[in-house]
Amino acid sequence: MKVKIKCWNGMATWLWVANDKNCGICRMALNGCGPDCKMPGDNCLLVWGQCSHCFHMHCILKWLNTQQVQQHCPMRRQEWKFKE
Amino acid sequence: MFPTGFSSPNPSAAAAAQEVRSATDGNTSTTPPTSAKKRKLNSSSSSGSNSSNEREDFDSTSSSSSTPPLQPRDSASPSTSSFCLGVSVATSSHVPIQKKLRFEDTLEFVGFDAKMAEESSSSSSSSSPTAATSQQQQLKNKSILISSVASVHHANGLAKSTTVSSFANSKPGSAKKLVIKNFKDKPKLPENYTDETWQKLKEAVEAIQNSTSIKYNLEELYQIMIRSIFLFLDRTYVLQNSMLPSIWDMGLELFRAHIISDQKVQNKTIDGILLLIERERNGEAIDRSLLRSLLSMLSDLQIYQDSFEQRFLEETNRLYAAEGQKLMQEREVPEYLHHVNKRLEEEADRLITYLDQTTQKSLIATVEKQLLGEHLTAILQKGLNNLLDENRIQDLSLLYQLFSRVRGGVQVLLQQWIEYIKAFGSTIVINPEKDKTMVQELLDFKDKVDHIIDICFLKNEKFINAMKEAFETFINKRPNKPAELIAKYVDSKLRAGNKEATDEELEKMLDKIMIIFRFIYGKDVFEAFYKKDLAKRLLVGKSASVDAEKSMLSKLKHECGAAFTSKLEGMFKDMELSKDIMIQFKQVKYMQNQNVPGNIELTVNILTMGYWPTYVPMEVHLPPEMVKLQEIFKTFYLGKHSGRKLQWQSTLGHCVLKAEFKEGKKELQVSLFQTLVLLMFNEGEEFSLEEIKQATGIEDGELRRTLQSLACGKARVLAKNPKGKDIEDGDKFICNDDFKHKLFRIKINQIQMKETVEEQASTTERVFQDRQYQIDAAIVRIMKMRKTLSHNLLVSEVYNQLKFPVKPADLKKRIESLIDRDYMERDKENPNQYNYIA
Repeated sequence: MKVKIKCWNGMATWLWVANDKNCGICRMALNGCGPDCKMPGDNCLLVWGQCSHCFHMHCILKWLNTQQVQQHCPMRRQEWKFKE
Repeated sequence: MFPTGFSSPNPSAAAAAQEVRSATDGNTSTTPPTSAKKRKLNSSSSSGSNSSNEREDFDSTSSSSSTPPLQPRDSASPSTSSFCLGVSVATSSHVPIQKKLRFEDTLEFVGFDAKMAEESSSSSSSSSPTAATSQQQQLKNKSILISSVASVHHANGLAKSTTVSSFANSKPGSAKKLVIKNFKDKPKLPENYTDETWQKLKEAVEAIQNSTSIKYNLEELYQIMIRSIFLFLDRTYVLQNSMLPSIWDMGLELFRAHIISDQKVQNKTIDGILLLIERERNGEAIDRSLLRSLLSMLSDLQIYQDSFEQRFLEETNRLYAAEGQKLMQEREVPEYLHHVNKRLEEEADRLITYLDQTTQKSLIATVEKQLLGEHLTAILQKGLNNLLDENRIQDLSLLYQLFSRVRGGVQVLLQQWIEYIKAFGSTIVINPEKDKTMVQELLDFKDKVDHIIDICFLKNEKFINAMKEAFETFINKRPNKPAELIAKYVDSKLRAGNKEATDEELEKMLDKIMIIFRFIYGKDVFEAFYKKDLAKRLLVGKSASVDAEKSMLSKLKHECGAAFTSKLEGMFKDMELSKDIMIQFKQVKYMQNQNVPGNIELTVNILTMGYWPTYVPMEVHLPPEMVKLQEIFKTFYLGKHSGRKLQWQSTLGHCVLKAEFKEGKKELQVSLFQTLVLLMFNEGEEFSLEEIKQATGIEDGELRRTLQSLACGKARVLAKNPKGKDIEDGDKFICNDDFKHKLFRIKINQIQMKETVEEQASTTERVFQDRQYQIDAAIVRIMKMRKTLSHNLLVSEVYNQLKFPVKPADLKKRIESLIDRDYMERDKENPNQYNYIA
């Protein structure tokens, strides 16, 4: 019997690439979603900073809004810049 | 109208004349031309007293003659006529023969047909003195002829008048011109006429009282006379003297006083009437007109209520009570109901035909009470379930109608209705063996119940609400199972290959399911199962139609809100996205002209984690071509979405293989695992279980299932050694070159579609776990708000917040667990109170 694959229907789930498991701000899973979002996925994006820390987009934006003078990373207090 | 010239001098003639006039008035049909003529004659008469024949001129008449012309009443009653009859008879009793002769004379003279007159009189003679009104009619009819004859005769005897000749011309029916001439002489009254007549009258009354049999035609003659006299008195003397009752009333009074009030007479009459009615109720035919006249007599005498009605109602009561008891025992409910209906109709008919209308309400109420009211619960208990089971629409409608007539009937029916639904529904739901058909049976039952409410109970609001309550009660008797089964049912309907129903039918069926779904409390069980099944359908490509899926989704959204359906919608979105990505991928592939290893056509579905059920990722050893293909796609995808990585789900993948057997080429639709196993046989002929495990890296349990599907199922592409249904350690597998199948493309990946028992259990477990978390969260939320709360209040608050039913024991456990975890504490003073720990 010779068997050859004609077509293949594969399934894959996508996950965010991040070194941490949890968001530093809300302490929830990065691959999950923040406290404000209902569903993980395209709606709840992740954001990386130049310091290579990773947060939920909503979480970091909230944090940055509360900061008056200088925007810095909530983990290390370095200056915060979005990684492009 | 008779010529007035006759009337004044001769009272009997006048009476006759008046009688004729009234008769003609009453019976214009018989002698219209004659009456016209008579009127003419009347108006043109010259004598003053004659003109008084007009009804209006009573007073002048009374003054002019001793026995002025009388105006007989139109509505002569039986009793008065009897008097008149008697009188008329009496007066003529002493000269019957002579009168008769004169009759004939006058008849000849006038040219009347004597025979005609005789016949008409004899036909009316069949009535008795206590005649009914119909006889009066007949009398009236005949009296025209006779009175006309009589008046002629009298006129002949007493006065010569030219009007005779004119009268001679007035045959009934003839329309000749009449010549009216005046009287030459004023008619003379005999001297002692008053006394004589009085004597005659008296004798007549006595004779009638003694019931002497008299020739009827003479009766009528004198009846007319009597009536004329009495009635005239009635109109003139009595009217003027309001203290005296009229003849009619007086007659009634006397009749009542002397005859009816006599107890014996009364009792006999009433007994007789009741007996007749009873006979009729038992089915015999009786003389209804007799009853009618009797009863109207009683009501005229004003003793209907007291003497008759009461006893009648008592009799009815007794009769129907007995009948009700007896028949309830003997007959089945539908026949009993029909019988009741029939009886009610009979009584209504009886009311119309001969009973007085005042009895209507009490009679119908009595019948209803005895036949229905006493037996309400008995009827329902005995027969309702049967009727409902067998769906006997007519009988149920009849039942409803009858019960709505009786006070409290509908309530009792409602109660039983609820009980029935609960009982029947519970049998459908509770039995685990009937799980497979449960949903279908529920749907059918709902249809039946709806139908019954529509037609039999006339869409009564109360019944509809009661039904909804009952449904809610029994469906939730068995927690979780109905929800799960409904999800499965919907899944089976939405799968491809379900060609039973057209789109519309599918829509309707989904609507019906939604109605039942509404009754269920624990809807999260449904969600879990539905989600799982939907995922399977979408991924394996088994969905019948996207439209049907979308419509079901919108129904669920409408029912439970967006939160419920957001994940499901997410799944659909993912499928769309994946399609887009694949299109792009293909374009890229063409553009880059890469050599796809092995010419494998790859389609990938990218799943967003949150929407889909959690799948355990498994690492398997893919053959090199597949690995390479995976890499190509990965690069492509990551190029599109930076910051992401892909996790392949090998449990979900499936492939189409091209296989060559001795019989020929076949295409096999298999799962990824099955692919890996089969690919091994490209290298070798026989492999053992362990070898396959080693090579493919598939987990043990999964591997066994996979091998089972390949070697022990319907389509055996592999042969197992030793043979058997189960996979044991040490089994060897060889490829089956003799494999035969009638189809070209064979699906062997059914296992993926079927749900194992473990999967089911695991899903239910997950749901319960989730519920526990929800309970915990609810308790903490409530405690945080209230800070301190008693146990009972806490329990009721939790019930309000949660959408699914919770057992109090479970709730207690969760509270304990939270106390252990230091979320809350028991109050030191009051052990029933809890405090929140911040």
